[in-house]
Amino acid sequence: MSRPSTASSTPPETMSTEVGLPLQLDFEQIKRIIPQRFPFLMLDRVIELEPGVRVVGLKNLTGNEWFYQGHFPTRAITPGAMICEAVAQTGIVFFHYTRSAQARDDVTYLMGSIKMRFLEPVRPGEQLRLEVTPVTVMSDAAMLTALVTVEGRVVAKGEFALSAKSHAP
Amino acid sequence: MSRVVNVEEEVRQLVADILEVEPHTINPDAKLVEDLGMDSMMALEIVASIEKKYKIKLPEQELRNVTTLNRVIDTTRDYVH
Repeated sequence: MSRPSTASSTPPETMSTEVGLPLQLDFEQIKRIIPQRFPFLMLDRVIELEPGVRVVGLKNLTGNEWFYQGHFPTRAITPGAMICEAVAQTGIVFFHYTRSAQARDDVTYLMGSIKMRFLEPVRPGEQLRLEVTPVTVMSDAAMLTALVTVEGRVVAKGEFALSAKSHAP
Repeated sequence: MSRVVNVEEEVRQLVADILEVEPHTINPDAKLVEDLGMDSMMALEIVASIEKKYKIKLPEQELRNVTTLNRVIDTTRDYVH
């Protein structure tokens, strides 16, 4: 998709003309939603964003990822825990855009009730496609499903709960 | 076997699976949090599992009824026709 040339400091984004919501998010826009930072930010782009329906994110895995140092020294394989983290962060984006606007600020997200199956090893140079869809969404928590693919192959899938805890007194 | 009996057995099994206990060990009036170690995400998982199993939608306020097995069963029955 072509992007317009702009001198604005605001990153270009594809916008829904009907409701004013972004349909895609770049890395900087993701960082405004997700509190995680290096080395724990596991989401590079959001390519599909439909509040209440689904979010599709991408994570590009390079041989330079910190976790490949030890997992494993002579045969790099992406830890399932890091795939779960990428799924959780995609879930945060889903939750952020699905919840009512007034409840978004000042929250910590917790992941739980994780039931993930890992079907294939994921290696450096591959791109995770992370699709999150809802099972049940409530005001401060959601049960979500995750489908993780690499080039169309399912490498992980499952369900998890995401809970938003407000810091507000 | 009637649907009413099925709901009781099915919900007992479903709750037991999520709490990782044997179904027959759950006292129907035991408190799921205090006595069986349920946390808020498990409660959400119970609601989501019931919704998926019976293809129903439980209003958010019904989450407050996930306190004992009996209350979960009664709430489910209210929505399963």
